[in-house]
Amino acid sequence: MSFLATVELGHEFLPFAAFEEDSGAVPNLLRAQSLLPRAIEGQVILEGAVRSRGVISRAQKERILLCIAAARRDVCCASLARTALRSLGEQDRQIDRLSEDHRRVDLPAAEAALLDFCLKLALHSLSVSISDIERLREHGIDDESIVEAAVTTALAIYRCTLSVGLHPEPDDGLWRLPPGGEVSVREPAAHSSSGTRSQTGPYVRAPYLSPLTFAPFVTLMNTHGFIPNFFRAQSSRPDLLAAEVELAALVLLPEDILTRAQKETILLAVSAANLNSYCVAIHGNLLRGLGMSTDEGDQIALDHHRSSLSDPDKALLDFAIKLCSQFSDFSLEDVVRLRALGFTDLQILECEVVTALNNFANVLQLGLGIEHDFESPRAFEQKKLNRRVVFDRRIGDDPSSSSIMAQAEDPDAELAAQACAGSLEAFEELIRRHSRLIYRALVAILGSQDHAQDAMQDVMLSAYQHIGGFRAQSKFSTWLVSIARNKAIEYLRRRKNEVSLDEASFDEDRDLRPRELQDWGENPEQAYSRSEIRQLIEKEIMALPAKYRVVVMLRDVEHLPTEETARQLDLSVPTVKVRLLRGRLMLRERLAPHFAAAARSAVR
Amino acid sequence: MITCDEFFAEFGDYLENRVSPEVRKELELHLSQCRACHVLYDSTCQTVKIVTDNSSFDLPRNISESIIGTVMAKLRADRA
Ligand SMILES: [Zn+2]
Repeated sequence: MSFLATVELGHEFLPFAAFEEDSGAVPNLLRAQSLLPRAIEGQVILEGAVRSRGVISRAQKERILLCIAAARRDVCCASLARTALRSLGEQDRQIDRLSEDHRRVDLPAAEAALLDFCLKLALHSLSVSISDIERLREHGIDDESIVEAAVTTALAIYRCTLSVGLHPEPDDGLWRLPPGGEVSVREPAAHSSSGTRSQTGPYVRAPYLSPLTFAPFVTLMNTHGFIPNFFRAQSSRPDLLAAEVELAALVLLPEDILTRAQKETILLAVSAANLNSYCVAIHGNLLRGLGMSTDEGDQIALDHHRSSLSDPDKALLDFAIKLCSQFSDFSLEDVVRLRALGFTDLQILECEVVTALNNFANVLQLGLGIEHDFESPRAFEQKKLNRRVVFDRRIGDDPSSSSIMAQAEDPDAELAAQACAGSLEAFEELIRRHSRLIYRALVAILGSQDHAQDAMQDVMLSAYQHIGGFRAQSKFSTWLVSIARNKAIEYLRRRKNEVSLDEASFDEDRDLRPRELQDWGENPEQAYSRSEIRQLIEKEIMALPAKYRVVVMLRDVEHLPTEETARQLDLSVPTVKVRLLRGRLMLRERLAPHFAAAARSAVR
Repeated sequence: MITCDEFFAEFGDYLENRVSPEVRKELELHLSQCRACHVLYDSTCQTVKIVTDNSSFDLPRNISESIIGTVMAKLRADRA
């Protein structure tokens, strides 16, 4: 009996057969997921990769799995590892002592250090730092082993998360977990973790793998348009990396039960509850790629109760967060509550699997010190610094969770508040401050300086009209630019000029190999006067298609960082990067005839 | 050594200084041995530099003041 309904899959179900061949029996943890065979398939692929070949012995990995499950008082997962250890010849007494406290067992020093590391990573992942890795190296443990140990630890967390949510019966019903106390984790003496930028990763070397020929990277390019550092950082173990990509594809890509957006929202909210900046940043971006606004994504990371998600979707996030943050209080009642809101067991199961995968990723990222692909939202970092963990609070009683953070760093905040209250003087000062910003936002989209001048008045009037709707969640200048942008798009549409700045599939942006490959020499612009150069560049930027022009304007003319450019345009960072490169290459192509020629005549 | 296509796949991130040390090493080795990619890299950097240094699209002050004047006059008239 487990929390969710099951069906009989039978022995002809290949993943069961594979597991059985390897371990002698199909564990209840897998049977409890029988409503969702693809999840079992994915987990079996990962389990197989972790346990097969490697630098760490199979028994050592099972001991890691056992100790973590025992430390979490997870009798089902402990029993699963125990069965495996027994089949490898480990004595019952030894297993019992290991699950009580591994330090009472006589293990080689290197293995004991590795177990210490894995337990710390599993139980206090935010406090793992480079000094933990250095201690492993002192024991002669190499990068490959560290990756393997971190992935094994993450697998233990994957299993345990599912075990909490599914509550399957232990495979060995007669065995009892020995009464271990809270497992203490050895802390480095001089280590004080604020939980913020405590890491200076990446911790391990990652050999180059080709994004064009290494199959998992090709898959990622096709499904996501980029290769997250999460995967690049594991390139010393391509087999593990490949298994993870397969598992992620099986769990996250299908749309038939929960939608991709729902699943990404779970990943975002649970990563935020786990205070994992890396994953908050990546899933916030992926959601933008699926059409969610930047503000909404930030709000979900900060406090999903204040987002505009539907009530059932919020309840689903509460459920997923409880599954990791308060797992000892998790019970059948939590499942019953979701059922009462109309969720099916299949949907609940998929939510649990996604949550398990999330925790896998959160733990592994911290264990390897994997560097950010994108910045996480500032307000989230502020929140994290304050250590105000969302799940500890009653719903919606914390004013700091939304507006105050953004206000504190917006130089326009005071004037904006006055303008909201009706001060025309304050409003005048604001539009004077930002008139050039408005103008450039208009030029960027309209592609004409004359049209931009014409549109200025409209934008300013519209800003005044809507100032009551300005929420201090975002910066005033961002809000103003968004008004200018919307006006400009409206103008373009009226001119019957079909244009879209929205996210699109990345395929359309693929073919951008350059043609013109003449050398430009040094300082080719010296052949022209400053005003000639300016004219030339303005003309060529104006001639770019709108979606590239906007990005080039914000990034290279306005000098906004890529992250900020993406936020302003409600685009994902990968999309901005592709468009920026394409825009730059188009400009290069158009400027080449001038500058390559200048170089040639200069030589002459 | 990596191919030109592989170089190009990482090119955007390389320009933005967002590649790992291992990838950077591969790219720079390729750059040192492939003239076509070297010219591409060099001229793209120059393009970005020229655009950035010649930061344009300034709105003449008299024009912006006249627009702000018109807008504020309209708002004050509406309020009166
Ligand atoms: Zn080349």
